[in-house]
Amino acid sequence: MKKISNLFVIDDDKIYHFLLKNLFKQNGIDVASTFFINGHDAIEHIKTNPSGEVLPDLILLDVNMPIMNGWQFLEEFNKISGSLAKKPTIYMISSSNNEVDINKSKEFDGAVKGYFLKPICKEDLEKIFLY
Amino acid sequence: MKVFDNPDIVDGESLSDFYEKLLSQVPDLIFKIRWNSDSKRYAIIFLSESINDLLETPSKVFITDPTKYFRERIFEEDLQPFISSLEKSRKTISQWDNIFRVNLPIKGLRWMQITAKPELKPHGSVSFYGRVTDITEFKRQEQKLHLSEERYHYALKAASEGIWDWDMKTNVVYLSAQLMKMLGKTEVPAYFPNTFWLSRIHPDDMEAYNKSKTDYFKKKNATYESIYRVVTDQGKYRWVLSRGSVVDYDAKGKPARVIGTLKDINLLKEKEVELGNTINIIVSQNNRLNNFAHIVSHNLRSHASNLKMLLDLFKTADAEEREEMLEHLEAISNGLSITISHLKELVEIQTEIKNVREQLNLRHYLKNILNILHNEIKKHNVDIEINIPLDVTVNYNPAYLESILLNFTTNAIKYSSQERKPMLSYDFEIIDGRKILSISDNGLGIDLKKHKNSLFGMYKTFHKNQNARGIGLFITKNQVEAMGGKIEVTSELNKGTTFKIYFDEED
Repeated sequence: MKKISNLFVIDDDKIYHFLLKNLFKQNGIDVASTFFINGHDAIEHIKTNPSGEVLPDLILLDVNMPIMNGWQFLEEFNKISGSLAKKPTIYMISSSNNEVDINKSKEFDGAVKGYFLKPICKEDLEKIFLY
Repeated sequence: MKVFDNPDIVDGESLSDFYEKLLSQVPDLIFKIRWNSDSKRYAIIFLSESINDLLETPSKVFITDPTKYFRERIFEEDLQPFISSLEKSRKTISQWDNIFRVNLPIKGLRWMQITAKPELKPHGSVSFYGRVTDITEFKRQEQKLHLSEERYHYALKAASEGIWDWDMKTNVVYLSAQLMKMLGKTEVPAYFPNTFWLSRIHPDDMEAYNKSKTDYFKKKNATYESIYRVVTDQGKYRWVLSRGSVVDYDAKGKPARVIGTLKDINLLKEKEVELGNTINIIVSQNNRLNNFAHIVSHNLRSHASNLKMLLDLFKTADAEEREEMLEHLEAISNGLSITISHLKELVEIQTEIKNVREQLNLRHYLKNILNILHNEIKKHNVDIEINIPLDVTVNYNPAYLESILLNFTTNAIKYSSQERKPMLSYDFEIIDGRKILSISDNGLGIDLKKHKNSLFGMYKTFHKNQNARGIGLFITKNQVEAMGGKIEVTSELNKGTTFKIYFDEED
């Protein structure tokens, strides 16, 4: 099991932020989490801190977001990932059960490790954090 | 070798014998009759023997009682005109010419033509020298031709096809009566210079017309065929299908004459256009359906999944946590009802009876909206310029017009730039008979390269603005399209945005 010390959650739904925090807490997952409400904020954050401790080990990414959605984030992230000190694992977590979205996540083969449908439950977290 | 001997003018045969022999070789009946001024009656002087063939009576027998034989042989209806024409010719001393039918014992019905030259003699007598010709074969041919022409004429008429005949040497084109009718002219055939025809063709179709003509002349196509629009005398364009082929070439082998047909296919074309429009409507409705699916899939699902996660957590949470969770439950519930109200708004656009339209004064409606937004406008210190003539009206749904004006105006204020004084202008124009309102601002602008496709999509926002909901443009677009219009957008980042609203005017 890879040690996860730093987590980015990119999702425009603030209620989901709250719920996720509580889900971590109830399942004893102790991780430093940073929450972003769109891809743009996240990518800017990464760009300004390309090395060191602040970079995430894991990104939980939503699909539909304003300003910069999940796909746009992935495109931007791929441009800069080479220059980053560490390579995070990315999971997509969305309420879209649209096949187009699910298939599209497979196109980002190397970058996206999996696609989870909301709501997220304990079992999902185990899959994400135990591998 | 000498074939002819010296002339021998006294061979012993009388001249009348000679003429008789000559006449016997002529198939026509040669005759002489005389009108006697004393008795006021006609007498037959001479009848050639061909009468045997022509009227199936020997000349000697006929002469005994001409009145009886005329009555017996000539068709009853033709007898009177026969006699009248004879009388007229005698009185005026002009060529006797009459066509009549006879009924013969063996050959049955035959057509005859009689021609004779009358000569006025001393004492007022008149002599006729003439011939009778059997014209039955000619008549039959004529009838056949007439019949086939008639059939052709009716066939063309039924197919609503006209005929054209282009003489390329003189560059004159003949247009049939039917074709003239298609042009909205009197149904009489006419000749025109070819330039007349060219002047009737729709400018947009000229290129295709010329191409199909040259392709045919260059023998690229086996037949000439072209579809284009011609303008009628009433100023309306009609779609026609023109087909033709060269019937004559000049000495150099170049086409000299082309004949063809012209078919009015306007109805067909209109159906085609209608079909195209229907497809467009279906495509746009399909897009709306996709948006519905999107709302259901994304927005409703996200509320539902939040609810489920919350309830799962709630079971094992402590009292303090539970209290916080209840607050979020309220937020979820609010979000859910907002989504449902958006859904309802959309459903209403789809189902609202579209003929709820009124003539609305555009300027008046805009003023009302600006009054409603008075506080916002004041707060942001927005300069407003209105270039809409006082009397401009649009045939529109009142609620839609309000909603559209409200949405674009609030958007323009919402996304104004902090760096300069906000300006907002409303300009009205009519292009190709369509009424257009342009709403321009000098605000933040939208990166159209990035967002063009999703600009009018649902829940799309492009600015870091707390008030952005991403539903306004989507609803507005649906309303404009439901009215049969469209929206165009031009924008430059940090310069401003112009939305052009096309009102539908199907006058």
